[in-house]
Amino acid sequence: MLLEVKDIHVHYGKIEAIKGISVEVNEGEIVTLIGANGAGKTTTLKTISGLRPLTSGSVIFDGQDISKMPGHKRVEAGLGQAPEGRGIFPGMTVHDNLLMGAYARSGDVSAELTQAYELFPRLAERRTQFAGTMSGGEQQMLAIGRALMAKPKVLLLDEPSMGLAPLLVKQIFEIIEEINRRGTTVLLVEQNAQQALQLAHRAYVLETGSIVKSADASALLDDPAVRAAYLGGDLGEPSPNGQH
Amino acid sequence: MFNDFVSQFWPQTIDGLAFGSIYALIALGYTMVYGVLRLINFAHSEVFMIGTFGAMVVPFVFGINTPLTGIALVGLILAMIAAGALASAGTAVALERVAYRPLRKRGASRLAALISAIGASIFLQELFALLVIPAVFDRPERGRIQMGLPRIAERQELFSIFGHPVMTHQVFVVVAAIGMMIILERLVNRTKIGRGIRATAQNPEAAVLMGVDINRIVQMTFLIGGAMAGVAGALYLLAYENTNYYIGFLFGIKAFTAAVLGGIGNLRGALVGGIALGLAENYGAIIFGSDWKHVISFTVLVLVLMFRPTGLLGESLQQARA
Repeated sequence: MLLEVKDIHVHYGKIEAIKGISVEVNEGEIVTLIGANGAGKTTTLKTISGLRPLTSGSVIFDGQDISKMPGHKRVEAGLGQAPEGRGIFPGMTVHDNLLMGAYARSGDVSAELTQAYELFPRLAERRTQFAGTMSGGEQQMLAIGRALMAKPKVLLLDEPSMGLAPLLVKQIFEIIEEINRRGTTVLLVEQNAQQALQLAHRAYVLETGSIVKSADASALLDDPAVRAAYLGGDLGEPSPNGQH
Repeated sequence: MFNDFVSQFWPQTIDGLAFGSIYALIALGYTMVYGVLRLINFAHSEVFMIGTFGAMVVPFVFGINTPLTGIALVGLILAMIAAGALASAGTAVALERVAYRPLRKRGASRLAALISAIGASIFLQELFALLVIPAVFDRPERGRIQMGLPRIAERQELFSIFGHPVMTHQVFVVVAAIGMMIILERLVNRTKIGRGIRATAQNPEAAVLMGVDINRIVQMTFLIGGAMAGVAGALYLLAYENTNYYIGFLFGIKAFTAAVLGGIGNLRGALVGGIALGLAENYGAIIFGSDWKHVISFTVLVLVLMFRPTGLLGESLQQARA
């Protein structure tokens, strides 16, 4: 097992946001956490990447307990994240954003740069543009490309589909699949359950800080309760949020 | 009055540029720390004060009290600048460690940090007045009295503008300050540590996800800002040949005004704001009399906060968040 989250509890002040979540991710998998707003998906990811301290429980990565490891060291250990809201550096160029992705590394990064530009030709066209002036979809591509620059063993993706037009969501998800095919394990947090379940191997369903279901993604796609709660009953278009 | 203005215009411009350069160097510390932590380090004024004394130590230790020339003079000036920068940078780093980091770790409010800054500021002033100045400069009981720097270089007219002399030390201050600005700009834009500083300023959480050690970046920011204030202290001492334990107060608050005027968080803004404030003060002094200099500075501060709170150049170290 590459990443194991064991019974973590996380508090915001006195409010318990995560009430004992356990997640396992094996090497080579795409695992998704789905659930509504406020279910604790983002908090779980932030706890794994070290942005949030946990109250109890542990995070084991690559055989090592990283529960107490500061966030910036977890990057060196092999965790890469494209955060919620993309978290690009608006005042830096696309190219500088990508270089920031390799901040923790030393040595030559030209192979990773080439790969990022190859996966996202759009970024290559905008190399010298300030990231803050790009569209939401381009910023999402940048966030993923930047996370890959660190050559992570596990890529944590927090709602890559948020605010994007359906066509763009499809494109981003195809690239995530390609990234996985090239050997990177992916832990994907999504509200867009439909798309996430079609892409992932396994899935966990979160509700108000706890896991209520875990199964193979294909099984959840056919699960009547999941369909009713997260897939709008019928398989349809992802929510028609405008792109921004 | 018009005649006064015409006759005093050039000398006041030259003096304003020199003073403005010093404000600008100090303003960099305010603006960098604000960019990274969204916090005004009000103890930065004492970092400048300690820089002037750091520079003062060098001629004192070597017992220099007559003007030097040639290599000896260049060596002395460089040593004074280095000593000022070292003393200030050390103070700034210690300040961050003692007065700010513990609060940051506990997620305290910015108001708590502000109070901590004011406390640290008074502590440092009194420490120097009561202990450091009497001990280091061998002046028992006289820590609160102004200290003069013996003239270490003859002052010469370098050139003249419309019949008004421009002195070597004035040119030196401006050139040295601009030199430091260029070095800083390179540091922030071309080095890894600079990229870390910019990333932290633009999005601290994302910076952590890139492997940036925020504590180290904050420390480096205080170190660099402190060193700039130390250089400013040394330049001030070289040009105006006096200092005291209380000197940071006015300089600090004016440099803060300069930072706000240029656009807090913006490095070039600090330069523009510093020079603009230095000039505004001096031009105002011609019209209203030099007693009104400070009134003019703080009127500028109030006006900027009222009508253009983002300053002349706006915030660019972090830029608008997407």
